[in-house]
Amino acid sequence: MPVSAWLDDAAPVRGWLQEVSRTTTARLTVLYGLIFAFGILALLGVVYWQSELYLNHRVDRILKARADVFLRATPADLPRLIREGLAVDGAQINVYALLSRDGAPLEGNLRRMPAGLTPDGASVDLPPTADFPAQARLIARRLPWGEILVVGRDVSQLTEMRAIVLQALGWSAVVIILTGLVLGASLSLNPLRRVRALQAACREIGDGDLRRRMPVSSRHDELDMFAATVNHTVEEVERLMAEVKGATETIAHDLRTPLTRARARLSRLEQSLGEADPRAEDALWVIDELDAVLGRFTAILRISELEARRRREGFVATDPADLARQAADLYGPLAEARGVSLETSGEAGGRIEADPKLLFEALSNLVDNAIKFTPAGGRVEVRAEAGPRIVVQDNGPGVPEAEQAAVLQRFYRGERDRLTPGSGLGLSIVAAIVRLHGFHLRLEDADPGLRAVIDCAPHDAGLPA
Amino acid sequence: MAKVLVIEDDDATAQEMESCLVAAGHQVRREADGADGLQAALGGGFDAITLDRMLPGMNGLEVVGRLHGAGVYTPVLMVSALSDVDERIAGLRAGGDDYLTKPFDPGELAARLEVMLRRRSWVREASPVLQVGELELDLVRHSARRGAREIELLPMEFKLLEFMMRNAGQTLSRRMIFETVWEYYFDPGTNLIEVYVSRLRKAIDAPGERPLIRTVRGQGYKIDAG
Repeated sequence: MPVSAWLDDAAPVRGWLQEVSRTTTARLTVLYGLIFAFGILALLGVVYWQSELYLNHRVDRILKARADVFLRATPADLPRLIREGLAVDGAQINVYALLSRDGAPLEGNLRRMPAGLTPDGASVDLPPTADFPAQARLIARRLPWGEILVVGRDVSQLTEMRAIVLQALGWSAVVIILTGLVLGASLSLNPLRRVRALQAACREIGDGDLRRRMPVSSRHDELDMFAATVNHTVEEVERLMAEVKGATETIAHDLRTPLTRARARLSRLEQSLGEADPRAEDALWVIDELDAVLGRFTAILRISELEARRRREGFVATDPADLARQAADLYGPLAEARGVSLETSGEAGGRIEADPKLLFEALSNLVDNAIKFTPAGGRVEVRAEAGPRIVVQDNGPGVPEAEQAAVLQRFYRGERDRLTPGSGLGLSIVAAIVRLHGFHLRLEDADPGLRAVIDCAPHDAGLPA
Repeated sequence: MAKVLVIEDDDATAQEMESCLVAAGHQVRREADGADGLQAALGGGFDAITLDRMLPGMNGLEVVGRLHGAGVYTPVLMVSALSDVDERIAGLRAGGDDYLTKPFDPGELAARLEVMLRRRSWVREASPVLQVGELELDLVRHSARRGAREIELLPMEFKLLEFMMRNAGQTLSRRMIFETVWEYYFDPGTNLIEVYVSRLRKAIDAPGERPLIRTVRGQGYKIDAG
């Protein structure tokens, strides 16, 4: 496999590792691992240091006792004692030597006075030499008659012990660090998964799905405390929103009846006036205004009906290209009357799960809107694209980017539609229908003009099924 | 004059409906309960029934079902506060002939009832040619003429003209037109129907001829009978 391919393959793993290594759990685990490693290091260090002290002390006592034995001997006996001593030292761990006043060898297993050793009775550690091929601890004493006695002992076991301790330190460091990394990564996985779930829920709430809640486990840990706090906040926001919405709907609902009655009465009055009567014109003006108010109320109630609906009720396999064509057929004459060309494209045969009547209503709203805001000579296009998505695009003045999110909100009417009649709720109805389907609505700058896209790829971020 | 049975539990609404229908020249009997309404309807002798969707005793859909079960096919106008498209469709599917959402303009109630009554009579007459004054619409040959002049119509224009001619003399609201001719149940936006009607006007009224389609401002459109 070429390196670049391997790098490509490794990239997600690297990303994943990076993400895991950034989690609090991973960091804590590594930190604990390091503290633990330092602890072990200190412990082993102290053990080593104490053992060395003890062993040196013991060797010194042995050396001193042996030297004392030699010192008590007569000058004539001494060489013999040394010889005998060496003869019984099968393991060859002892140094016994008698040197002349100027350091020439007289007896024993040293051929010269080792460098660094002085005949003052202080113990000295010396590296292996040609005479004694192991590390040794030595003392030297000057005999009353001037010759020098050297007594020593092989202490290579101390060096070996040091090596063992160092090795133990090395291995435990490796084991601790590896275990720490693996534990850290695996312990971080679960919290990371939970944080991801929290993040996803948060994003959906942020996108306006106030029915969504953060997942809470039975562990009552800090993540749960956090999630519960957020849930409480969202509940409160939802309650307040529901109150506002409820109040709006109640007003819309309650005012519709008297307004309809008033309109009917006024209409009868207008008909009784006769065409020549100038008051008829006033009555018709009032009727038009009442119709605008009633239209708004109807749209508000329509949105709440849509929001109260359950998803997937009445869904069937629907061809988006077919809907696009029907919308173009329905609005063709309106576009023609406005001097706007209305075109449709898209290959038939695509299939999405949708309520065709509702989706057609949404599409009609978008097409109506596009025709309304496109000046004569302009062009509106409604098409089904791969994705699948349905696109309604015009080359009118468009919507400034800053306003694109706002126009989807209820009652928002941008700068461009001050002078055009309408409830200002058309796009809110579209948004409600799209949300009901679990689809996604976005507005884009078509440069020039506006492009409204209903993205029909299934999103899970909809209403509960 | 027709005999109309109003089955409606809200007294104020029932009162309003009665006065409106009486003003339109109909004879009205009121029932406030689903079961009583059903009994009255089964007794027969009514030309049309307005039926509230939600009633004490028995809901509107069930009343229609029982009527049909008993072989009574008096035209039924469902009246309901539920405006959702699905509710309308459920009402129509259960056997209602038309669906009106509360609150309604009494004028619209009368108009819908009228359209419904006339639909019954077309079915009986089953005439292949509609005629209003000098305007003729041949439903079999799918052609239209005004006097000697052949008129070219697009399919939707033909359907629209047929609906208006069948209800000549009756003011038809934009909403009724959209629901009956296109069978869509949403607000089609600013002036879609207006555009369709004006195209139809251009087609059937040649320069100098008397305009046949009248705009009734604040109400809708109508073709004057005869």
